[in-house]
Amino acid sequence: MPLAYGRASHGKPIGGGVVSGRGKAFARLFAVQAAWNYERMLGIGMGYAAEPLLAGLEATDSERHAEAAGRSAEFFNCHPYLAGLALGASVAAEYAGESEDRIRRLKTALCGTLGALGDHLFWAGLLPAMMGLALIVAVVWSPWWGVGLFLVGYNGCRVAVAWWGLRTGLDTGMRVGQAIASSWVPRVRRWVGLAAGFLVGVAIPLAGRFLLGGLGRSQILIGVGVAVLGLALAYRFRATFGGVRYGLLAVALVLLWFGVLP
Amino acid sequence: MPILLYRIDDRLIHGQVVIGWGRPLGIEFIVLVDSEVSASEWEQELYRMAVPQAVEVVFADVEQARTSLTDWQADPRRGMLLTGTVDSMAAIRGNGGPTIPKINLGGVHHRPGRRQRLPYVYLTDEEYRALIALKEDGIEITAQDVPTTRAVALSELA
Repeated sequence: MPLAYGRASHGKPIGGGVVSGRGKAFARLFAVQAAWNYERMLGIGMGYAAEPLLAGLEATDSERHAEAAGRSAEFFNCHPYLAGLALGASVAAEYAGESEDRIRRLKTALCGTLGALGDHLFWAGLLPAMMGLALIVAVVWSPWWGVGLFLVGYNGCRVAVAWWGLRTGLDTGMRVGQAIASSWVPRVRRWVGLAAGFLVGVAIPLAGRFLLGGLGRSQILIGVGVAVLGLALAYRFRATFGGVRYGLLAVALVLLWFGVLP
Repeated sequence: MPILLYRIDDRLIHGQVVIGWGRPLGIEFIVLVDSEVSASEWEQELYRMAVPQAVEVVFADVEQARTSLTDWQADPRRGMLLTGTVDSMAAIRGNGGPTIPKINLGGVHHRPGRRQRLPYVYLTDEEYRALIALKEDGIEITAQDVPTTRAVALSELA
């Protein structure tokens, strides 16, 4: 059956049916990992988020709608914060009447790309950067300001990126690769890791100074010992030292400091 | 420096590959063997985006991989070779093809006909038999998604 929607890959806008489900799909994206499993990974969550976006297709082509709904819940995995790009792009491709094979290949390619980009941007970038910045603010100004800055700053970025991703995916469809390449993502990716290293590097000695409450001889020795231990652990486990584990190590050190040391 | 990792992963280039293995091994180039990707510019563009600028990505089909593998193995840089399927890796080795010392099963996910062997490895009986044949050919085969997990021997996937 011929399709009447035009092709997103040739630059045509997507039909109005897609636009009507954006809000619901955006909200559902925050539950994209809720039904995570090894068989489909994010697949069920993606299918759930795609359902309101695909509703407009049902009225014009119910057969295509049924196929698209099934495809949307197939195996898929990527960084959850960037899942909106894949969701939007694959839904736009469905409306554009792209072939089943091209849509599957698009999702496979996005699987890896969005996974790697997300790991760089968030786990190895924004998360440690915000932790470092929050620690600096907590030590220099107020602990509550530090906690507040982290919660608002990190989650604000996460929400904004999810919305940008969904919108960009829907607007570009099969051209989502070009859209990502010409967006803020490559630029931010280049400096966010450096920023994280710098901020954590500044935060650690400041936090040490704060915890020591002064710099007596024994405290300097203890501080140097902890720093050497931290460096040794970071080097030994460099393959797995993501932002979360780095943060947990810092928390463990603080607890050890107050719980064990006099 | 030889190719340090020969990996079968149906997601091809992704976070486990770039950060999980790429960083600790100091990978400087990745050979992605997939006939359809090697003929598709938009897919290549997407996969290149997943990799830091300093890492080169070479796209090849199985035939190109068979003829060029010894050159890649002689490259002074640290490399990784990726295929999306067991069949592609087996075809690179083929009869009398280039030597592959070790294969890493990194992610072969659910499809109709495949049975779960590990949470991240699903294989049909034919795929399992193809891996056994590669093992009998002298190739060490283990399943390991990231460097920090245990390498699982092929015999445990029966």
